[in-house]
Amino acid sequence: MFVEAPITPVTEKKDLGSPVTPARRDRNLLARLRSSSVPYLYLVPALILLVVWTYRPLVQAAQLSTVSWNLLPDSPIVSVGTANYRKLFEMPDLGDAVWLTVVLIIGLLPFTVVLPVIVGGAMRRLSSRGSRIYQGLIFAPFLVAPVAGAAVWRWLLDPGSGVVNRVLGSDRNWIYDESTAQVAIIVITGWHLIGFAVLAVAAGLAGINNDYEEAAQLDGATRRQITWRITLPLLSPTLVFLVLMTVLLSAQWTFPLIDTLTQGGPARATTNIYYLLWDYGFHTFDAGRSAAAGMLLFVGFGVIAGALVWISERITFHDK
Amino acid sequence: MTSNSVLDRVEDTGPVDPPTVPPPSTDPGASRSRQLWRRVSGHLVLGLTALACIFPIYWLVATSLRRPDDVNSLSIIPWPLSLANFADAADAVDIPGLMANTFLIAAASTCGQLLIALLASYAFAVYDFRFKTLLYLAFVGTWLVPYQVTMLPNYVLLNQLGLINSLAGVVVPTLSSALAVLLLRQHMSSFPTELIEAARMDGRSSWSILWTVVVPNMRPALAALAILLFINSWNDYFWPAIVLQRSNDVLQLGLRSFMGTEGNQWGPMMALAGLACLPVFALYVVLQRHIVNAFVRSGLH
Repeated sequence: MFVEAPITPVTEKKDLGSPVTPARRDRNLLARLRSSSVPYLYLVPALILLVVWTYRPLVQAAQLSTVSWNLLPDSPIVSVGTANYRKLFEMPDLGDAVWLTVVLIIGLLPFTVVLPVIVGGAMRRLSSRGSRIYQGLIFAPFLVAPVAGAAVWRWLLDPGSGVVNRVLGSDRNWIYDESTAQVAIIVITGWHLIGFAVLAVAAGLAGINNDYEEAAQLDGATRRQITWRITLPLLSPTLVFLVLMTVLLSAQWTFPLIDTLTQGGPARATTNIYYLLWDYGFHTFDAGRSAAAGMLLFVGFGVIAGALVWISERITFHDK
Repeated sequence: MTSNSVLDRVEDTGPVDPPTVPPPSTDPGASRSRQLWRRVSGHLVLGLTALACIFPIYWLVATSLRRPDDVNSLSIIPWPLSLANFADAADAVDIPGLMANTFLIAAASTCGQLLIALLASYAFAVYDFRFKTLLYLAFVGTWLVPYQVTMLPNYVLLNQLGLINSLAGVVVPTLSSALAVLLLRQHMSSFPTELIEAARMDGRSSWSILWTVVVPNMRPALAALAILLFINSWNDYFWPAIVLQRSNDVLQLGLRSFMGTEGNQWGPMMALAGLACLPVFALYVVLQRHIVNAFVRSGLH
């Protein structure tokens, strides 16, 4: 799950003071118990928070998915069995949202995988100072707060006075037009993420031993052959990581944009699965249906992530 | 931290083709022109991408600095400069208050995450204990649980605790950061165990070893992680949107409400958006290397 990156070995040795005197070990049970509980004590705060804010609500969401409730503390919670799930499968909402999510993820891949590889390759051809300046510029959008990104893109894409339409000479309302809203969300998210992906690719490329390419060149391999047969296979762990990142984090990155720009519209054209859960929960106050969709999402998510990890272990080529 | 940055590594491995190995079937002149072409095309690809990435940010800044009458101008350079848009934005929302709240939340969240993750990763890196792998997987597993799945039960709990519409309500659910735990564990695993052993032989408690041996040696990693967590928290939208539904007390939400209520006042909106990004960009300019390293090491953002 991690980009391989060099880690500073700790070189600065601490002076540990007085000469070593072996501590006497108490052998009674109490002391043993105390010492064996030490690691758990360090873990306790993090584990408690993890249980309270991630795993408890996960279990509770599973319970909520079988009830009908409007989130108000005083209103009754009625058990409805599998009705929430049945309703979800009968209505087109869920299917549409899943489809939009798939489109979203596929639409993001050019920004998080394809372009970064091209950019990373281009950076290798230039002097380090030159490519560093470019990299700094390309990384900048990653630091822009999502809501600020939404604001500036709404301004750029404004139908009347936005730069994009005035340069193109059109008056299209990109964000509020059913046919382009999802594309706009994809482009804005891609703009946010490309810098990080380029960084990951640069790190991956830097980790590839140059000897392979030189040896291939000596053997008369062409540039294209070297790229496709050597560089890209060696880069495959990074590429799989980027795909995984795109799948897992598309929610976090699109949510603020959708919530501030389109609220899932127009005509639900940007209501992907994550936004559907939000919509059910906090707009229509149908806790049961939101939780049921959430459980389906969680299971589907787990299957996809598992499959990606499984695939990556088979196809990635490790230089070891 | 400086000796092994990714960018340095790019420099080491270098873009230069080995001059001693000309491709077998081409004469040197053709090879040189191909090299030139590779360089030019590289600049082209990077230049266009960088332009596309930086233009919206530039336009944000440029628009915010125009005179209110010039906001719709297409001139590239905003001239004459004016701060009127900032004044207008300040009239509409309480900018210092939003800044202070956002800073408070980001700082509290960062300190909490750092401390809690430090303790947890210390246990994982230094000790062997039962269920270690299982517990570690519990942290990794959080990647598979999107916030949207757990938000309703968490909302209900926050409500019961009386934390809805309070700043503490934004901080508390974020305190256990799996990212921080995994990263710090990675760093601590490469910490020389002899040092810890020596300190233990010395009779020091594990608590004092953590603070007098481990932490001082991990300062760069901790600093990089702190920056990363701070930026994440500053830019966070999801928890504030859930917890502060009525009050809009942080910058991201203030900006959202501004987008909703003030219609298309582009000048003040860009001014506020620019202010929402300013601290992070200031950090980036000053600490560019550390931030880039932190993000690369984080792997997952």
